[in-house]
Amino acid sequence: MADLAVENLALRFGGLTVLDGVSLSVEPGELYALIGPNGAGKTSVFNCISGLYRGEGRIRFRDRDLNGLAPHVIARLGISRTFQHGELFGGMSVLDNLLVGRHARMETRPWAEALFTRGVRRAEVEHREAAERVLDFVELQRYRHTPVSGLPFGIQKLVGFARALAMEPALLLLDEPSAGLSRDEREDLARFILRIKHELGLAMIWIEHDMQMVADLADRLHVLDYGRSLAVGVPETVLEDPKVIAAYLGAQHAR
Amino acid sequence: MSKSLPRASGYFRTSYADELPLVQTTLQRLSLKAVLLALLVFPFFATSFQLDLACQVFLAAIGALSLMLLTGYAGQVSLGHAGLIAAGAFTAGILAKELNAPFWVTIPAAAVVGALLGVVFGLPSLRLRGLYLAVSTLALHFVVVYLGGEYETKRGYSTGIVVDPPKLGGFELIDGRLWYFVMLAFAVGTLLICLNLLRGRTGRAWRAIHSHETVAEALGIGIAGYKLLAFVVSSALTAVAGALFAYYRGFVSVEAFSLFLSIQYVAMVIIGGMGSLLGAILGAVFVTLFPYAIENGMRLLPGAEKLAGAVFAVNYAAFGLVMVLFLVFEPQGLVGIWKRLQSYFVLWPFKHRPLASGRR
Repeated sequence: MADLAVENLALRFGGLTVLDGVSLSVEPGELYALIGPNGAGKTSVFNCISGLYRGEGRIRFRDRDLNGLAPHVIARLGISRTFQHGELFGGMSVLDNLLVGRHARMETRPWAEALFTRGVRRAEVEHREAAERVLDFVELQRYRHTPVSGLPFGIQKLVGFARALAMEPALLLLDEPSAGLSRDEREDLARFILRIKHELGLAMIWIEHDMQMVADLADRLHVLDYGRSLAVGVPETVLEDPKVIAAYLGAQHAR
Repeated sequence: MSKSLPRASGYFRTSYADELPLVQTTLQRLSLKAVLLALLVFPFFATSFQLDLACQVFLAAIGALSLMLLTGYAGQVSLGHAGLIAAGAFTAGILAKELNAPFWVTIPAAAVVGALLGVVFGLPSLRLRGLYLAVSTLALHFVVVYLGGEYETKRGYSTGIVVDPPKLGGFELIDGRLWYFVMLAFAVGTLLICLNLLRGRTGRAWRAIHSHETVAEALGIGIAGYKLLAFVVSSALTAVAGALFAYYRGFVSVEAFSLFLSIQYVAMVIIGGMGSLLGAILGAVFVTLFPYAIENGMRLLPGAEKLAGAVFAVNYAAFGLVMVLFLVFEPQGLVGIWKRLQSYFVLWPFKHRPLASGRR
């Protein structure tokens, strides 16, 4: 039984067809890469899954129909995501960004918070511990109290990644996590992705342009071009597919 | 209670719970004690005029803190705060006049009315942003002032409603010194509510909505609920300030709640420094005392008697000028100046903080 099943997803803005009959299914614990040229509709697929865009077609997550649900309800079901440009909460510290990521897991009520009752105190400490575990995982402890807007870009991307992870999701959507990172930072990221896969067993959909990383890490590839699915399968076969080479990789890449 | 630390030293906390208290360092603890002591002793040395000024500052601080919650943290602009103060004042006034309701009924009633109004005028915020939202909140101001004016004329209080001083445990609250402590208590209470909300889940959600609404939503924050909550909390607190105002002045009339009052509250938030509760308080002090400072300044000029007629005009002009100067030269407001001073002393002889440093 697939964790996430997208059937025949279509998305139109006026006369522009962004997605046209995209179907995909992600198995539990699978690292599923979504690749394709710029403007192929990769991020639009994410926006449809997380409810920011309303497409046609069916999206199911573990027997729940996601169609028509509000984005925050979908997030509460355990679908968490990162954003292409980080999109962090600039004025807040790294820790606060992670705690916002845990929002859906916290249950304190505003009136209790206004009095900062014992229960609120306990919850704050408990969720702080959870956030610290994520900070340990991505090795960002030394930045915990630093406002994120002052951090270097590579660290910021990592904070966005940690924020998505802090929610303790069941499915993680990674939108170009490696874009703008240095070689070293990419290697760290690859390590984190592998650890998530092996230690936490999370299913991930991963938008990526770094073909070497994708070929090395992903279980399956899904190639999009102009909103259509071009090929789905294990990296070895998909990257040899002449259609994929013509549309995205270019002849140079053919072996 | 955790042990307090000197401010600029390393980071020696051993439990996460130790980071929750609002007062963290020895310096903070000492200065808090000093400020509290000063506030408690002040009325015994102050003239009645100074006591009145202090009460005005406390009232303004309640309004400014609640507006800061809404605008500086949750990012929702409001030009309706004079309307909310009017709503609180009229609620207290009408209940006291018509039903002879006591203090401890009218104040919560004002909070409830404020909260309900908050829901109503928070609703446009679900669709509108920035300037458009500001205009829609402006409508609230006019509606409340219109209703207040109608009540006054229909009931024959065309000059305003006279509100009897509140009774606290049998005796009347007239004494300026007693008022000072009541106002201080309400202002401190408001500050604590704001501080607590902001360090918890709600405050983080508000700040997240402020900086990236869609991202906040995709992370599981129900935008509509939290925006309305911001309006409700802010409006309820402001309406309480309005009710206190009614009792303090002993008189409620629509003339007191002009649009200029709303502008003054926005000015407090901007001059004080966006996104800081300390800023709201500093802004409240500044904006409340500013006209008196100008007036006193003009009295010192040669030919002061001749200038007396121009005091009002000069006041308005100077207020506008100060606003513009702050926006251009000190967009961080008074709190920006305060923070620069603070880091100057803490870091001396160095200038910049290290990248990854402790809590600031």
